[in-house]
This record gives sequence, structure tokens and C-alpha cells, in this order.
Amino acid sequence: MRADLHEALSARLLAMADDELILGHRDSEWCGHAPILEEDIAFANLALDELGHAIIWYQLYAELIGRDPETLPDELAYQRPAADFQNVRIVELPKGDWAFTLVRQYLFDVYEAVMLEKMAESQYDLLAGAAAKIRKEEIYHQRHTSAWVRRLGLGTEESHQRMQIALDSLWPEALSLFQPLPNDEVLAEAWIVPRLADAQAAWEGQVRPWLTDAGLTVPGDVHAAGKRGQHSKHLAQILDDLQEVTRLFPDNQW
Amino acid sequence: MTDTQWPRYVVLYQDREGNPHRYAGSVHAPDPEMALLNARDVFVRRPECVSLWVVPVDRIFAVTAEQLEEHPDLLAVLPEGSVQAAAYYVFQKIGARGLHSFAAEIEAHSSQEVLKLAVEKLPAKNIMVWWVFPAAEVHKSTPEDIQAMFAIAETKLYRDQGQYHTVAALRRIKEQKDKEHANNAG
Repeated sequence: MRADLHEALSARLLAMADDELILGHRDSEWCGHAPILEEDIAFANLALDELGHAIIWYQLYAELIGRDPETLPDELAYQRPAADFQNVRIVELPKGDWAFTLVRQYLFDVYEAVMLEKMAESQYDLLAGAAAKIRKEEIYHQRHTSAWVRRLGLGTEESHQRMQIALDSLWPEALSLFQPLPNDEVLAEAWIVPRLADAQAAWEGQVRPWLTDAGLTVPGDVHAAGKRGQHSKHLAQILDDLQEVTRLFPDNQW
Repeated sequence: MTDTQWPRYVVLYQDREGNPHRYAGSVHAPDPEMALLNARDVFVRRPECVSLWVVPVDRIFAVTAEQLEEHPDLLAVLPEGSVQAAAYYVFQKIGARGLHSFAAEIEAHSSQEVLKLAVEKLPAKNIMVWWVFPAAEVHKSTPEDIQAMFAIAETKLYRDQGQYHTVAALRRIKEQKDKEHANNAG
């Protein structure tokens, strides 16, 4: 692989993996706390799926940079400082109320579905294979979260209001998903990863009508809240949780 | 209203093509579509599944063998009136340990009439419970759902807890702590 592609792809894979890890962790915080038992189980499943996707992307990243795909994922999750994480801020924000969690998950699920659909045809075979596999799960995630968005958006006055508040604060954060990394363009030119501007158009084409049909108003004239890798204080707090045991016993084998 | 729960749906599960749908359990949900999604999440993650049905529990006409014996009039069918005939599903629980399983689809004017026909026509086994409900009340997964809802569960790896070394790791930590304690005390 060309050196510039190699560099760009490894950065992109790490970013995708970090998104999934942090979102999966946030989702897992609902375990035992979701509004009803059935949803508790469903959401724990979903959180596990996202963690599974993170591992897949970390392993691809490891293979690409010539590291051990068995050990590198744990190392990246448990031993990196917040500043090294490449996730977008939307996945690290506190879980908030159920509406906030669902709107975030829905916006992210559609983003993933759009990206994976294109990546399943990637010129980089390993990426294409992984994307095809993950995509099957994302189709189900999207079905689940979009069903909830509709019901809460059109539900009671309170559920509608909470959904709208969540959407207002999350929309600019979601736009950050489409902020390219410095070297993304070469990946698009080589048909390895879709161009994020195209992905954004496809994403908006799906989420705008769905949100509108759910009685919600998509904020107008809004810009992306920030760039990938710019973190809130919340990421460090997540890592305090996630890495607590590793920091206490760095050399223990689990 | 003292029950703040959503309505309950009975979940019927088909593990492979050709096998009857069987009772899996039940879920609460605000509507049939959410019931189907909840059923998938609660019951399908590990085992094989090719089709799921959900039916509102209050639409199931359920009769035990004992009730039938004590109240034979349960089979005394009321006049049909102007009601149109429709398809109904009959499920039977056979033996004390059996699961309610699909037995027949019967067209008739009421659940009661279906039960009467089923008792007359279906082979008499050790039937403990009869369930009858209108086919139209059942919300079903579609063949297109198989990939997205069920196939993904088959490829999941589930590690036995024995594959993790947590207990040994905790023991090492404890030994280390004990040693530190002993050293401090000394």
C-alpha cells in the first residue's frame, strides 16, 4: 500500500474504532437502568455490538500497522490517555436522559449504516469484509432506534419535548461526524473509504425526513460543533472508569 | 389503572423451517412492531431462529383440559350471526413439560367455534392447554427479516467464563495485598 494511503487509512480506522468503543461504553451505562426490562436487554445487546465493532476496527488497525491484533485492542482501550483518542465528541457526552441516548444512537446508527454500505465495496478487501459483517448488525440497530425515535417524537408532550431538546443539542455534534481527517481525501480518491461529504448527503437524506415525520424539527443553519479528536472533559471521566483497574494493577493478566 | 406496564405479547418462536412455532415467553411493548423487536432482543440472541410471531395476550382464547372437562359448554358454540369467517391459529400444549406449539390453522367464525372444531378433528394426545387466536392478530417477522434479525445471532462468539482469568487475577491481587500488609505490620 502507498505510504500516504497507509497513513490515512490507519488514522481513519483508529477514529472509527474509538467512536465505537466510547459509544459502546456510554450505552453500557444503561445496563440495569433502562426504562423497561425489554429495552434494558436490547440496549445491552446493542452496547455489546458496538464494543464488538470497536475490536474489529482495532484489529484491522493493528494488522495495517504491523502490530499484534490480539493484544493491541486492549492496549489501546486501557492504556491511552484521553488526548490520544480520535473519537468525535458526540459519543463521549454523558448519557443524559433516554431521549438524549436514543437520538444520539439513532443519528450515529444511520451514519454508520451509510458509511458501511459504501465501505462494503471498499478497494481494501479487509475493510470491505469487515464492513459487510458489521453492516448486518447496524441494519438491526437502525431499525430499533428509528422505531423509538418515531414513538417518542410522536408520543406524549413530555416525550416530544425531551426528544426535541436532545435533537437541538445533538445535531451540531452529529455534524462533526462528517468533518474529514487531514488525509481522508486520498482514501476517497482510491475508493477505500467513502468521501464524508457524500456520506453526509446520504445521511441527511435519511435522517431529515424521518425526524420530521417523527414530529421533530431539525435545527437550521447549524455548523459542526467541532473537529474529530477535540474532546470534552467527559472523555477523561470515561477513561477514569474504563481504565481504573488497569491503572491500579497494570501488569495483571485478566 | 394500577398497571403502568405496556400490554403483554406472547412470543412464538420457530427454530427452523418446517418445525412448528413454539411458545418462547412474553414481552411488554407499546405496539406490535416494538413487541416483535423486543421479542428478538429478549429471545433470539443465542439460539437459532427463522421466524418470530407476537400476539397480544388478551386476544388468546386459552382453555385447559381441566376446564374443558368441567365445562363442556365451552364447546357449545353460539350462533354465528353476521360475523365473517376468518383464519385462526390453534396451539396445543402437550404433556406437562410440553411447550405450546402450533397445531393447526382453522377457518371459523369465533375462537370458540375453532376450539370445538379442533377438539373434534385434531388427534387426541395428552393435551394440557389449548390456545386459539385470530391469525390477523399475529404480527410476524418477514422472510426479509431473517438476515437482519436472526442470522447475525448465529455468528456470535460466546466465551465461557472459564476462558477468562479473572479469578486468578483477583487472587494475585489479594496475595500481593496480603504481603504488603504483612510487611507493613512487620
